[in-house]
Amino acid sequence: MTTLAVTPFHRRFRTFVRRLPVYIGVAILLIIVAYPLVWLLLGSFKQQDEFLSEPFWSLPRSWSFDNYVEAFVGGGLGKYILNSVIAVFPSMFLILLLGTAAGFALEVMVWKGRGAVLLVFLAGVMIPLQMILLPLFTIYFNLHLTGTLWPLIITYTATGLPLTVFMMATFFRAVPREIFEAATLDGANIYRIFWSVGIPLVRNALFTVALVQFFFIWNDLLIALTFTNSQDLRTIQAGLLNFTGQYGAVDYGPMFAGIAVNVVGTLVLYLFLNQKVMKGLTAGSVKG
Amino acid sequence: MITARRARRRNLSIVAAVGVGVIALTGCSGGGASSSKEFTYLGQTQNTAISGTLDILAKDQCAAAEKAAPLKADAIDGTTWDQQLQLLAGQDALSDMSMAGGTPSLMQEFIDSGKVLNLSETFEKEGLEGRVLPAAESTIKALYGGGDLYALPTEFNIEGFWYNKQLLADNGIEAPVTWDDLVDAAATLDANGVQPFVAAGKDGWPITRLVGDYIARDLGPDALQKVADGDASLTDPEYVAAADAVAELGTEGYFGPAAGSIDYNTALNQFLTGGGAFFYMGSWALAAFNDPEQNKIGVDNIGFAPFPAVEGGAGSIDQVPANVGIPVMFTEKGYDDDVAQWLDCVTANYGDVALNEFGQVTGFVVNNPPADQPALTQEVQDIIADAPSSVLWFEAAFTPEATSVSQKNGGGLASGTLTGEAFMKLVQDANN
Amino acid sequence: MERLLGNPRAVLVLLGPALLVYSLVMLIPIVWSLVYTVYEGNAVSGFEFVGIDNFVRFFNDPTALEAVGFTIRYALILTVLQVVVGYALALLYVFYLKKASSLVRTLVFFPVILPTVAVALLFRRFFEAAPTEGPINSIMEFVGLSTFDWFGQPDASFWVIIMMDLWRSMGFYAVLLYAGVVEIPEDIIESARIDGAAGWRLVRHIILPLSLPVLLSATIFSINGTLKVFDSVVALTNGGPGTSTTPLTVYMFQTSFSFGQYGYGSTVALMLTVMCLLVTIFIFRASRRDLTRNEK
Repeated sequence: MTTLAVTPFHRRFRTFVRRLPVYIGVAILLIIVAYPLVWLLLGSFKQQDEFLSEPFWSLPRSWSFDNYVEAFVGGGLGKYILNSVIAVFPSMFLILLLGTAAGFALEVMVWKGRGAVLLVFLAGVMIPLQMILLPLFTIYFNLHLTGTLWPLIITYTATGLPLTVFMMATFFRAVPREIFEAATLDGANIYRIFWSVGIPLVRNALFTVALVQFFFIWNDLLIALTFTNSQDLRTIQAGLLNFTGQYGAVDYGPMFAGIAVNVVGTLVLYLFLNQKVMKGLTAGSVKG
Repeated sequence: MITARRARRRNLSIVAAVGVGVIALTGCSGGGASSSKEFTYLGQTQNTAISGTLDILAKDQCAAAEKAAPLKADAIDGTTWDQQLQLLAGQDALSDMSMAGGTPSLMQEFIDSGKVLNLSETFEKEGLEGRVLPAAESTIKALYGGGDLYALPTEFNIEGFWYNKQLLADNGIEAPVTWDDLVDAAATLDANGVQPFVAAGKDGWPITRLVGDYIARDLGPDALQKVADGDASLTDPEYVAAADAVAELGTEGYFGPAAGSIDYNTALNQFLTGGGAFFYMGSWALAAFNDPEQNKIGVDNIGFAPFPAVEGGAGSIDQVPANVGIPVMFTEKGYDDDVAQWLDCVTANYGDVALNEFGQVTGFVVNNPPADQPALTQEVQDIIADAPSSVLWFEAAFTPEATSVSQKNGGGLASGTLTGEAFMKLVQDANN
Repeated sequence: MERLLGNPRAVLVLLGPALLVYSLVMLIPIVWSLVYTVYEGNAVSGFEFVGIDNFVRFFNDPTALEAVGFTIRYALILTVLQVVVGYALALLYVFYLKKASSLVRTLVFFPVILPTVAVALLFRRFFEAAPTEGPINSIMEFVGLSTFDWFGQPDASFWVIIMMDLWRSMGFYAVLLYAGVVEIPEDIIESARIDGAAGWRLVRHIILPLSLPVLLSATIFSINGTLKVFDSVVALTNGGPGTSTTPLTVYMFQTSFSFGQYGYGSTVALMLTVMCLLVTIFIFRASRRDLTRNEK
């Protein structure tokens, strides 16, 4: 009787002990990644001298939103966020649409030379962006695009394409060809196959690629600084530099408020996308 | 079927959203290039004093010029300033007026390719002479080479050792007059547990300035130009001696722990909270000194000591290390009667407005100084007015590579990880 | 059917826009920049033909070679760490945390979304030595070591950059690789378990070979990213102390835009592109050999 009662508990306890190192490891991992977030958020409430004179882990003296007000009113953060949104989302849309279509054409469709074209796209992954800045600036300037956000949208789209095409082609390769062949036998035309058969099949992949591209583009500073020559066109990343003075003095409080707003915004988006990715993944595994 | 229709509707809404974005974009778009009816100015975001002063001028003293060609001021980030200027200049699209290139050599290229307005000639033609202080004028001329003026001194700073009067008095030290005084003072302070020097070693320049000033005091104000002209080398023993003098302060630990990793904010705060006795800095820091929020030791507690003399040296202590920050230039291409009107008005009134409204000391003649100024600010202005001549900083005449190498390695001197000889060799190699 | 999937007009419609944008915005500027490699000068002062001088200079330029050394060292070490740590995390998610992994995954991913400026500031404070001590130095003092100036010394700075970039990107690679590992069919793993494979052996003989394709793309992705490291170095050390942590991208940017030598800057960029190309081809080759060996 007693032995029967003890055994399951005993076994559970042993599993727990055996797994203890893993739990401790996970706990340490979470501290390492989560503590900085807390630090950043706390920082957005601190005054300048608290950053410089107080120890690293000190709590803010007061919980006022002055820094946020300063970031939005004095730093013009609202405008910069809007600029980022206007530049990033159309580029994302174009990257995904054009990249998926190209991936489909390169992997599902059958024609001569597609291997070579795929390699040409792959080469784009290797090119340092710094190299194309001067020619692009000349082109945009002569097309009278400087002074707008178009250079950002165009450059983001083009620089996002190589990786997207490459990844989408890889994902299409994993789809059994019979599915597309069956669809052609049903008499659907090729665009319909792409739109109604191809895209749903790689939907998870689309979200993954969207996630990757979003963080690349949203966090970009180099392109944003090179092609926006006006204060009204700055993106949020360029806007964060506003809190640095001429001789290197940094206005920490408002800068952290700006970072916090940026981070919370992207975090919400990530959670949303992440859910989609997860849903897609579980749906995929049920099918598999 | 239903899902398909719903999907289509969703897609439509996405397309619509993108469409709206596109319309919004075209709405935002305006010509980036300068148009003839506007007076365009481009500056660095980090510098708010210039655009602020211009705004005030446009409303008040320069109203007539503003009416003929309204001011259109814009700013971009200073971190990529030289890159942007080059790109714009390559397209011949510089603003009518803009802050100058960050490195003197870039300015020289602009001058050589005829992009920048020769202000000496223009002043003579338009009768605008005598509006720029001689000291500031000579500083700019020395900076960009050639005998003519190509930029306006919207800022004029002197540099030297600011010191904490209290800490010096507590340790029985007087403001140093010679380099040996300074070294002795540092030794005394260090022995009594006070950090002798505060410096932003991470930025490099606060350290390399010391090397440059030492050379000017020891070998004379033209010693660095000789290096630039190839008549002398930084690796010559008399030059190395200067770097060694500074490196010695580093090896003694007079700059405090981790001296090469301290940034501008930290250093400034350290000095203003009593964390060190001497602080080499430009007079732009007066803004922070006069701000009780930042300055915890009190502005009356800060004294100014010119960079000390080196005994037996060819230079003298009254040659003030000076700089003009980043001055402003006018383009040759954009110069017309409207801009001429602006130039006239700016040169006549800039000094007054900048000083009264922003507390900014400029290189323009001031006609109506503010009634009451903090004593330290007044002292600085007096020094500027009385200075017989000025000297430029260490890298002023060097190539951009040498400037970059020098400032990147300056921190090594302060932390004692780099010898004077090694430092000078690095900079000299980059300057060839 | 073959005709439908091989319809040239459809290929043009689907592939055309992407190829057009890519060619106009990337390929043409690259070719344009390649031309500059045999010129000297910049957009302001004009260009002058110099033949192969820029290439000769590159191989005799100690700063450039130092930058090559830093770039390779950084890219190799960080790529290995990113892929290994990412893969370990992915295995942890799939086999230990299972359904509960969502929160952990999100939190570990989180640093990716931080702006570089913020991350660099964070790490500077973390490793600060003076005037206030950062946590790392406090811990070192606590265990009896002396404080250390992490940014004053080339090797230490190098490792701080590595740590920072690893901290920032490991969650990202974990998610990428997780997507690959989670798709390994359950029945394959189950049957291997029944055959007596467990723990390390299960990973080594079943899971690793099956996730090789996704590991390969992650590696290629990582190496091409790390070879082109730019903003994290600029924000954290700005290439210092001295020029000891200057990668090729930063050197290229400086020569082109700060030093006004656009032709030479293009040459440096070309050498970097060639490096990326060689490494990618090498990885492809190596992986193919590895794959065939496993199949035997």
